[in-house]
Amino acid sequence: MKGKILLVALLVAAVLFVGCTKKAEQPTASLKVGMVTDAGTIDDKSFNQGTWEGIVRAANELKIENKYLKPTGTTVSDYVKEISNLYDAGYRFIVTPGFKFETAIFEAQTKYTDAKFVLIDGTPHAGDYKSVVGPNTVSIFFAEHESGFIAGVAAALQIKEGEMGFIGGMEIPPVQKFNWGFQQGVAYANQNYGTNIVMKPENVVYQGSFDNVAAGQQLAAKMFDKGVQAIFCAAGGVGVGAINEAKARATAGKKVWIIGVDVDQYAEGIYDGTNSIILTSAMKRIDVAAFDMIKAELEGKFPGGQTLIFDAKNDGVGIPANNPNLSPEVVAKVNEVFAKLKAGEITVSDQQGNLIK
Amino acid sequence: MNTLISIFPYAIGFTIPLLTAALGGLYSERSGVVNIALEGLMVIGSFVSAVIIHDLYPYLGSTSLWIGLLGAMIAGIAFSMLHAVASINLKANQVISGTAINMIAGALTVFLARTITGSGNIHIQMGFIPTDIPLLSKIPIIGPMFFTKTYATTWVMLAVLIISYFLLYKTPFGLRLRACGEHPQTADAAGVNVYTMRYIAVGISGALAGLAGAIILVTYSSEFNGNVAGLGFLALAALIFGQWKPLGILGSTFFFGFAATIANVSQVVPEFKNIPGFILKAFPYVVTLAALMIFSKSSQAPRAAGEPYDQGKR
Repeated sequence: MKGKILLVALLVAAVLFVGCTKKAEQPTASLKVGMVTDAGTIDDKSFNQGTWEGIVRAANELKIENKYLKPTGTTVSDYVKEISNLYDAGYRFIVTPGFKFETAIFEAQTKYTDAKFVLIDGTPHAGDYKSVVGPNTVSIFFAEHESGFIAGVAAALQIKEGEMGFIGGMEIPPVQKFNWGFQQGVAYANQNYGTNIVMKPENVVYQGSFDNVAAGQQLAAKMFDKGVQAIFCAAGGVGVGAINEAKARATAGKKVWIIGVDVDQYAEGIYDGTNSIILTSAMKRIDVAAFDMIKAELEGKFPGGQTLIFDAKNDGVGIPANNPNLSPEVVAKVNEVFAKLKAGEITVSDQQGNLIK
Repeated sequence: MNTLISIFPYAIGFTIPLLTAALGGLYSERSGVVNIALEGLMVIGSFVSAVIIHDLYPYLGSTSLWIGLLGAMIAGIAFSMLHAVASINLKANQVISGTAINMIAGALTVFLARTITGSGNIHIQMGFIPTDIPLLSKIPIIGPMFFTKTYATTWVMLAVLIISYFLLYKTPFGLRLRACGEHPQTADAAGVNVYTMRYIAVGISGALAGLAGAIILVTYSSEFNGNVAGLGFLALAALIFGQWKPLGILGSTFFFGFAATIANVSQVVPEFKNIPGFILKAFPYVVTLAALMIFSKSSQAPRAAGEPYDQGKR
């Protein structure tokens, strides 16, 4: 019996000492950047992937250490748990993508004052929507309406004449702003470049989820049946279904297009080895945002306590650099429009106004 | 009316995986083994076919789709054997072993998918392309309803349904299988090996459920994402709604498929605009609940379904 107690005491001591040595090792030279993923996988072709790509780029170029953790659920406590795990493992710079982290970051920024937090597409609050960006947190937003606008201009210029539609996921501000910006872009092209694109109210829909693939496929099929030539999808997994339908039709020789969202979705729309049904994509440069913040931290210029907007002016939104489905003339015109947007000659409203939905 | 006709092909596309899974459930339950593992087996099928097609498509093109379907069936059989051993030989509670498979399937496939591709999603390059049947698609009304934009898998599954009908009702094998689900002791006394029959039935059930998961992948979804959106459980409901009969299942699954499709596309169809979306979305489930309540008195459920067969019990 005595022997057993001794053994236990020894084990406890061993654990304690191991703990000590670990702590002593912690302050390493390079920055340790951690990320907690939102619902969905690290290669969701959206927020998680964009954020992670920025962090990986920083790891390659700026020599930081990086790691991501995927929470088991999508509740605040799941998020806080993973943030704590990262913190306990010595990660003092934590990036989280998506508005769902708002309350989790609010908790974390007060609990771990010596860590830095980057919240993309959201602002920390205690659950009451009263924004409190702590001195160790930076909150980043994107001008989705400008992204949608420029994609709308590009799509209208390329299609020239016909009908277009929009499929959104949930009816929430980032998705709505994409929609409204897109409509303004189409209208701008109609007015200034003589295109004739119609967007009927019935072809502007919010499916109501981000994961109903079957509904995405069926909605897109119905729109294409009614003569819609291009659909702008800001709908996550619902968009996957729409892309699938467009690929099937393109293979059968029909001319249909999808305008991608968040990241360059060209590769996802490839249907016969080289051709893709992705006309262009309304991008949010999430990777740029994540990378810039890490860089700022390394340079000692972390904009803690601020809310930053990534828009056309700082190249935070736009369409991909390469658009194989847009003709060179269209690309040239789009660049003109983008320059005007940058210079502030064109303003895009982020309100519904008299736009559809 | 034209709108209704034009959504028929999409409704059929949505119905087929549901029909396939429900048919799988039919074999199993008719032999006396409740199979609530349909959902999990569908996930397994979807995963295996996604891996196969993802890897083989660059070399084999659309042939890889058929290999993927076959692979899904084999994986479905393999996994259903776990259920079979537990519920036939070990006489475990069939609901519990089914639930276990549902849980294993979701966790295992996501784990493997993340290990293989680094993410929980597996994207396939291309699925089946819906095609119009020559001549038949030109028939007024019926043509656009049933013969346009059809998937190859739709015709395969309708053939399987007809074969199943004959197999279950017109052959000695079918009679024995049904006898095992109604009164296994009597079947045993008549010289039928109840264990073998139940193994075969659960195996067929696994093959069809796996196939159902794969059909979702190669028709409308094109991406494995760790679940099949609850279609396995919907298939169970359709099985009960269809009163454990092949043609009843055809009717009940098509009802679900059609109602779900209407709910999905209602937003872009002006005719449905005035009906709130949530009513359309809830409609099939409300009807199912009502139907289950009405039919529960005259239920045609196999009498021995859910009971492990014990030779010593008379």
